[in-house]
Amino acid sequence: MITDALHGKIETIKAELLTDTAATTTLNFLVVIDDDAQRQWVLDRVTLIDDKHPARTIVLNTLSTGDDATVNADRIEIAAGGMTPEDVRSLVQGLMIPEIPSVLWWTGDEIVDQPLFEPLIDIVDALVIDSSGSRTDDRTIRDLSDFSARRPTVALRDLAWMRLRPWQDMIAHFFDDPNLMEELFAIRKLEIVSGSDAEALYLGGWLASRLGWVACAHDEFCDRDGAPIPFTHRREGAGRRVRSVSVETGRSRYFAALTPSDEGVVSVGVTGDRARPDRLVPLQSIDNASLIERAILEPPADEVFETALHMVGKILT
Amino acid sequence: MPDGTATLTRPAEGRVNPLRAGVDVNRISDPCNIVFFGASGDLTKRMLLPAMYNLRLGDTLPNNYGIVGFSRTEWSDDEFRAEMKKSIDEFSRSGPAKDPMWSDFAQRLSYVSGDFDDVKCFQNLKEHLQNNDKTLGTGGNVLFYLSTPPSLFSPIIDLISRSGLGPEDNHVGWTRIIVEKPFGTDLDSARALQAEVEKVFEEKQVYRIDHYLGKEPVQDIMALRFANVIFEPLWNRRYIDHVQITAAETVGVELRGGYYDHAGALRDMIQNHVTNLLALVAMEPPVNPRADAVRDEKYKVLTALRPIESNRVMLDTARGQYDAGSIQGQPVPGYRTEPDVDPHSNTETFAAVKFQIDNWRWADVPFYLRSGKRLARKTSEIAIRFKQIPHRLFGELGDSIDNNVLVMKIQPEEGVSLRFSAKVPGPKMHIRSVSMDFNYGTGFGVVSAPAYERLIGDAMRGDATLFTRWDAVETAWQAVMPILERWETTTDESFPNYAAGSQGPPSAERLMAADGREWRKI
Repeated sequence: MITDALHGKIETIKAELLTDTAATTTLNFLVVIDDDAQRQWVLDRVTLIDDKHPARTIVLNTLSTGDDATVNADRIEIAAGGMTPEDVRSLVQGLMIPEIPSVLWWTGDEIVDQPLFEPLIDIVDALVIDSSGSRTDDRTIRDLSDFSARRPTVALRDLAWMRLRPWQDMIAHFFDDPNLMEELFAIRKLEIVSGSDAEALYLGGWLASRLGWVACAHDEFCDRDGAPIPFTHRREGAGRRVRSVSVETGRSRYFAALTPSDEGVVSVGVTGDRARPDRLVPLQSIDNASLIERAILEPPADEVFETALHMVGKILT
Repeated sequence: MPDGTATLTRPAEGRVNPLRAGVDVNRISDPCNIVFFGASGDLTKRMLLPAMYNLRLGDTLPNNYGIVGFSRTEWSDDEFRAEMKKSIDEFSRSGPAKDPMWSDFAQRLSYVSGDFDDVKCFQNLKEHLQNNDKTLGTGGNVLFYLSTPPSLFSPIIDLISRSGLGPEDNHVGWTRIIVEKPFGTDLDSARALQAEVEKVFEEKQVYRIDHYLGKEPVQDIMALRFANVIFEPLWNRRYIDHVQITAAETVGVELRGGYYDHAGALRDMIQNHVTNLLALVAMEPPVNPRADAVRDEKYKVLTALRPIESNRVMLDTARGQYDAGSIQGQPVPGYRTEPDVDPHSNTETFAAVKFQIDNWRWADVPFYLRSGKRLARKTSEIAIRFKQIPHRLFGELGDSIDNNVLVMKIQPEEGVSLRFSAKVPGPKMHIRSVSMDFNYGTGFGVVSAPAYERLIGDAMRGDATLFTRWDAVETAWQAVMPILERWETTTDESFPNYAAGSQGPPSAERLMAADGREWRKI
């Protein structure tokens, strides 16, 4: 319930925003925080994004109760813990600027059974989430797969997927040579080592969806001819990081692995019939604020992600 | 609805790598050698090698590449590598070079020592490149980069040809050349240099660099104009009163006094950077974003610049030279006491020019260009000042109603600002100007690549969009030649005529005042 005191504060904030000097606003940026330990980390990144992409930013702290609503450097923070989800939605809607993109950054890793999730999803164009780094990566991704099927009009951006771009490029680069492309259709084994599950699942789902594989058993794909492709993924090292990828065909092994001397560099090579000398690829370090920025800026439809996510959903079910 | 299976093209059906869908490729595909003439010089150390290293760190360089330094200094490969490491440590935006990437990069660096007028040295270079083709797989492709003093451009091009390094002798790959600015010191010298270039290279093989065009905000001008519908209908003589283009610096000539004293602001900035900005603002929409379509439109608008008759030079231009003064509270010397500058120098450190464009879009809309050193603030911007409202409906209370102004900010701020009139809240109809600002923030995230990285990468890809074509260079020289000739044959007795840290010389203010206008504050 919205108390009279809070209502008064919100109206004051609205009036202040209206009398402010003319400024550019590029999006409505809704941020939900459900973990006090994460609060400052999240707010720091919100500030960075606000500085670069002027936004109507509304931060909802679901653990905080009371009649508190404040404006801090053009950011509206609301203690939403004591309100009903519908009250929160109506409050937020009243503060949003119409006809510009609206993005929800859901900073928790669970979306099912979260009372605020669906009401907020109803009023945004895009959802940004990070399925990686928790103990429940696989469950989060499965929920996201369901969500994607259920709410196709809301653009879904998973930071765990977006972090994989350099690895996808390295794997794709093996087969850019037209003479090696046939090898793509002779893959017999896939091994991924990563600090959390989401990365491995997404890379596996991506390869499978691009190459027409199907999930035919637990941790096993089958290619278009029905040949089995065992998929091994192992947790090792820091979360949210891939450590190595190995793709084996009948004739060669294609691998990419962090170098021991500098974990910002990947050693990439091929052994076997198609052997090539190792090559060093610098791993672009992309901070979370930049990833969120990309999530905001990318076009709404990402067919490659959606098909990969759907494939991961199949593996997990 | 995605079903988990992407549309798949097997190799036999079309040779498309299915893993490439949605995965951006910024990597340069062609293997190649890049040869830096003048490799021991300041530009290579400060800008070019750090740019190459950052292209490598960005995984932009092709798998097979070689970087060859060529200059007179007697260095071995290892000495060249050591010198370049020092430069990267000091000047690279990514910080000091470190292993394993540095060792990997250093393996691709090599050096040829030789005179720029000795054909044997160029033949050595040819053998060196052929060896790189074998050992590094550089595929016979070569990009030459002229980063020497301009006086060496012609001799180097001549020896490239005579030693069999020119494109006509390359039967396996491509040969291109990047030519640093200035392209000539006047119209005649530019034409003479072009004549030498044409003997060896076709226009499509020549990349005349103007690093200003590689800056992100300069490219944003095209986006603002042609990715919005609201500006283009107003972008003409009917609604625009005039345009001001400013490139102001707070720095003096620093260590370039010897060069600058023979160049001056008109040659150093107006003829190239600032005129290029004018072309981007004033050109017609290109039919596509490809290099020649954009350059065709830029050329067309430059050909429409009305020549400034000799007897109008004093009326349509202003020049200045800075005296001692203060920049940000620090005293700075006058131009004539800078190192390597003639103490009686007549060289301008400030230039302002009023151009008219004789075409349907811009008839009677003056373009005021100015550039100078040691001015009050470092700023580059393009200001479009719109006409006054046709009828004054409000303002009986004495409010002034300012013209709308659209400002494209290039540096140090990057963004767009629009000034318009609004009612002051309250019962009375008070009008005031408000400014709506949009800044392209650069505070975090992937920092846009400095201009040299962008431009070298583009040349390696064969994309000439951000390079200047000869016809535009020639036309820009034609536009400024009457001014140069007048200024070089008359001494300005008022020099030095503006204090360091000021807005520029009084003559610039008079230039605007004569038209009933004034400059925007720097």
